[in-house]
Amino acid sequence: MNDPNEQAVLSEVPRQTFELEECGFREVPKKWRKFYRHWEGPGDELGPNEIICPVCKVVIRSKREIRVGDRLYCMPCMSRMIVVLGEDGTLQTDVTY
Amino acid sequence: MSEVDRPEFDSSEFDPHGMNPEDFLDEVHSFEFWFQAVEGYLTDNPYGHESGDEPISDRPDDLTESDKDSLITTLCNYCVGETAALEGASGMIAIAPNRHSKIFLATQVVDEARHLEVFLRRLQDLGVTDPEGEIERRANPTLQVFKRRLLELVKAGDWSAALLAQNVILESMEHAAFLVHATTADPVTAQILNGVMKDERRHLGFGENDLGRLLSEHPGNRRRLADIRHEMDGLVLAVFSRAADDLPGDASMREAMGREYIETMDRLGLV
Ligand SMILES: [Fe+2]
Ligand SMILES: [Fe+2]
Repeated sequence: MNDPNEQAVLSEVPRQTFELEECGFREVPKKWRKFYRHWEGPGDELGPNEIICPVCKVVIRSKREIRVGDRLYCMPCMSRMIVVLGEDGTLQTDVTY
Repeated sequence: MSEVDRPEFDSSEFDPHGMNPEDFLDEVHSFEFWFQAVEGYLTDNPYGHESGDEPISDRPDDLTESDKDSLITTLCNYCVGETAALEGASGMIAIAPNRHSKIFLATQVVDEARHLEVFLRRLQDLGVTDPEGEIERRANPTLQVFKRRLLELVKAGDWSAALLAQNVILESMEHAAFLVHATTADPVTAQILNGVMKDERRHLGFGENDLGRLLSEHPGNRRRLADIRHEMDGLVLAVFSRAADDLPGDASMREAMGREYIETMDRLGLV
């Protein structure tokens, strides 16, 4: 997703949805665990429903494909963020205090 | 926040991203959230590591005498940092401006007490018979200065400065040290450090987010807090350059950790 126009076009397309399963992340209560996973470093490719928390570097997961404007919560570090389009065309997050 | 695309929240289907902001803050600051979170990774790990059949001091490790000596010095400094955090967090409960912060800090106090206990226990496993005396002899004097300064801010009732010093600066310093150390530590120490870092994620996040909210409500505080940050940065650098002698770990990782600290300060606008 390197082209901002591609992002705009994609927003017309129905979102992919995902069935989440726990990935061994145990730092939040059981009912929230499948929404997070540990990031394994630079070789760890993120899915379209995943983004890295800028504060604690945990991978935040959603039941649907992540798009610009989405609001996400990182429970392990209690951060709230909005998904934005970075200057390089990739999806990034702005922490909203 | 109408431009935010938000999924409908169905309470029968837990989805954290669909919670309203107040419910989210209530949940993550709560004692219940903390209890169920730590239960996930502390159960069956007495003193921060898997229990084996034989006493830990009888298990073989690859530590040379000189490795062991460096590890003891490092652990003594961790104990100073953890004591600072324990005393800092407990003092901050009285000056915290709201119930969320008071409850969260109470959980942090327990975390910090556990950290201190597991590091003291590791010192004993390594054959240190008088950990308190050893800490006295080996502690980095600059870290002691940092601790005094932090406790002065708490005692003065300066909530925002104490939050910056304790939950942003001290926690960042500890997290960076533990992360670098865990990559080269012996297996037992590495397990202890990894468990401690799980707690630090909450403490750091609380610090940045609470301070971020405070600064957006009272932007006039930013200059004063940036000055305190710069004053304390000098101490942090001195602690790190001294710790580098005792702490193995590659330079690129240390640089990455320094970058994380700078990114946090940038997000908060404390430059
Ligand atoms: Fe996070
Ligand atoms: Fe700690």
